[in-house]
Amino acid sequence: MDSHHDYENIRVLIADDDEHILQAYRDAFSDAETTQEVRVLDALAAELFASKDVEDDEPRFDVVACSQGDDAISLARKAADGGEPFDVVILDVRMPPGIDGVEAGSQIRELDPDVEIVFVTGFSDVPLEELQRRVPPPMKLHYFNKPLSFIQLAQDVASMVRAH
Amino acid sequence: MSKTEVKRSLQHKLSLRLIQALAVFIAGVYLILHIVITPAFEELEISRAATDLIRAERSIQTDIDNLEAVTLDWGPWDDIYEYVAGRNPGFQKSNLNRPTLTNLGLDVLAVYELGSQLRWAQLLVDGEERPLADLSIFGADDPGSQILTAHDDVTSRTVGIVLTELGPLLISSQPILRSDDSGPVAGAVVMGQFLNEARLDRLRERTEVDMSWMNLEEFLANDERTPSDIELGILPVKISDSTITNCMVLADIFGTPLLVISSKTPRNISYLGRQTVNAALLFLAIAGILLMFIVWSYMKGTVITPIERLTTHMDKIRESGDLSDKLNLQTRDEIGLLARQYDSLTTEVHETRAALLHQSFKAGKADTAAEVLHNIRNAMTPMINGLDRLYKAFKVTDGLHVSEAVENLSAADCPPDRAVKYIQYLGASFDRVKSVNSEATDDLKVVISQARQVEAILSDQEKFTNVAPVAENLVIDEVVEEAAHVLPKESSTEIDVDVDEDLTKFRVHAHRIGLLQVLGNLILNAHESIERANSAGGQIALYAKDTVLDNKQMVQLTVRDNGCGFEEEVRNKIFQRGFSSKAKGDTTGLGLHWCANAVASMGGRIFADSQGEGMGAEFHVLLPAAQGG
Repeated sequence: MDSHHDYENIRVLIADDDEHILQAYRDAFSDAETTQEVRVLDALAAELFASKDVEDDEPRFDVVACSQGDDAISLARKAADGGEPFDVVILDVRMPPGIDGVEAGSQIRELDPDVEIVFVTGFSDVPLEELQRRVPPPMKLHYFNKPLSFIQLAQDVASMVRAH
Repeated sequence: MSKTEVKRSLQHKLSLRLIQALAVFIAGVYLILHIVITPAFEELEISRAATDLIRAERSIQTDIDNLEAVTLDWGPWDDIYEYVAGRNPGFQKSNLNRPTLTNLGLDVLAVYELGSQLRWAQLLVDGEERPLADLSIFGADDPGSQILTAHDDVTSRTVGIVLTELGPLLISSQPILRSDDSGPVAGAVVMGQFLNEARLDRLRERTEVDMSWMNLEEFLANDERTPSDIELGILPVKISDSTITNCMVLADIFGTPLLVISSKTPRNISYLGRQTVNAALLFLAIAGILLMFIVWSYMKGTVITPIERLTTHMDKIRESGDLSDKLNLQTRDEIGLLARQYDSLTTEVHETRAALLHQSFKAGKADTAAEVLHNIRNAMTPMINGLDRLYKAFKVTDGLHVSEAVENLSAADCPPDRAVKYIQYLGASFDRVKSVNSEATDDLKVVISQARQVEAILSDQEKFTNVAPVAENLVIDEVVEEAAHVLPKESSTEIDVDVDEDLTKFRVHAHRIGLLQVLGNLILNAHESIERANSAGGQIALYAKDTVLDNKQMVQLTVRDNGCGFEEEVRNKIFQRGFSSKAKGDTTGLGLHWCANAVASMGGRIFADSQGEGMGAEFHVLLPAAQGG
């Protein structure tokens, strides 16, 4: 699979044990949603002020969220089996009480060798070298420290997918 | 098994083993003495008794030999030869008389002519002359009298013992010959000596043997044997508790068993042997007991007591956990070496434990910090994303043409249909701003909520930080020595630090690092106070005493200096946060406020005294005394 979708929605699986963070992910990755009011406003602006419609090249995401590593593995397996694997999996490293994100990432990598795996953590006592060893290849492994802008992360995720 | 039982067991085992060894030793010696030595004494005694019998028999034989010698002197003699031939009548008068018998020690003297004709005879019994017939051995009817009264040739003789009516008689009969031993035989000369009590006494005196005799019939009175069953010679020995009796059957001049002589030998040798053995046993027993006591004392002093001290010390350390306590056993043997190595080991463990506690404390802090970092970062992520959205919300008006729409709407030439569109646009723009504002309000709530969460995390961490680290039993002087390292090596003022030697006796239950920092701070404050006073002969003294606070046993450690001191009104402020008597910018250490908090967290108290400015100061730290040691 060279590229999942150039113009289709990017499928993202997110696992984090903090509900506030999951909500922030959802907010950031659904930012491109356009309401009816906005479309009316944009149409009036185009008519009255010769304003160009903003080219709709914003990435769009299909986000699936869960709070445990085991759930993430199950969802990834189910998606792969259904023929619609995730493009990106975003994992928190520490997700008590279940398995940690590194173990989840390792098992998901076995299920899908092409998926981009992103580790996002507030603190990790797992060195990057070990992450690369357990979740190869390094080219498809990404690491971000919290706190970070999920809006920026969404753009980075889109870049990862489009780069392939 | 309790520790006391263990100790007693060691003592009891040693005592038991020593007593067993002593008992075996004494039993061994007893057996050797009674199985080997005592029988040897008895054998010696029996041998001596046999010798006594031989000596008794020899003494009788000697008397017989002497008697024979006298007879031999008389037999071949011309004077008596002539006498019995009837040619020398004067012989009788000059030689055959009582003085001759007395001088020769004879009881019987008889001179026979040929044909056993008695020529002259004399018998003395207890000094009285008696007829020779009283003997009942020389009469014609007496059997065998011929061998005494007549001799066939010059070599004939009869020597031995005969039993007479008056008792056993040593007898010797010789033929009467010429002086040159030539014959013919002219008659017989017979001499005899009674084996009576007087002679026996002399024999006893001479031989030192308690000897006696009895005739065969008397000897066999309680015996089934008859005289014919008895053989000549030595009879079986008879041994009683006090004497050994040996008997010998002697024959008469006819070779017939006649009488029994016996020797009684007192059992002096075995008695002395027993006395010697008993004395030896007693001596060995006393020596064994003495040796056992010496060994026991030595073992007690060199092994048991040091091991007891070691065991007690180990128990004490186990109960108190105070590894700084030292045994200080100075003996130069293996146990002393063991004790010193144990002290050395506990010192290493003590230092390692302190290091581990410190390391653990630091590691715990690091773990906590990592956890806090994780939680804060997690909490900050929604904040940042909320703020991102707020930023975008504030920029919502950037894409709107509100001013332009108002300006065009206000223009006089604005067509009515366009005016309607502008009004619609303004309405839609307002709705857009209202919508974004509503979202922004939600985002702000998230930011505020997360900020409060961060504050809660920090508050929790503060509580955790205030938890006192692990307390341990500490020797004051060791902590003081380590804390004193804070003093600068070079100082503008010469300061003498006097640490009381008795500090080694005081142990407190406290957090080592905290106490180090408190004492270091107080010592440093004292040093700086002396330097500020700028007076010569600065002194810092550290000493301690036991005291009681709220019914709890405490140790009061005092740091006294002769520095600048403080006034009474400052006393109550000195431990307040932010208070300093030092010049601004001259502050080092953690501060007295921190010290007061640290001491309080250890369950102690701190206070200060001073007689006023320039009078020096005393800082007293009260800490709980270590339990169990």
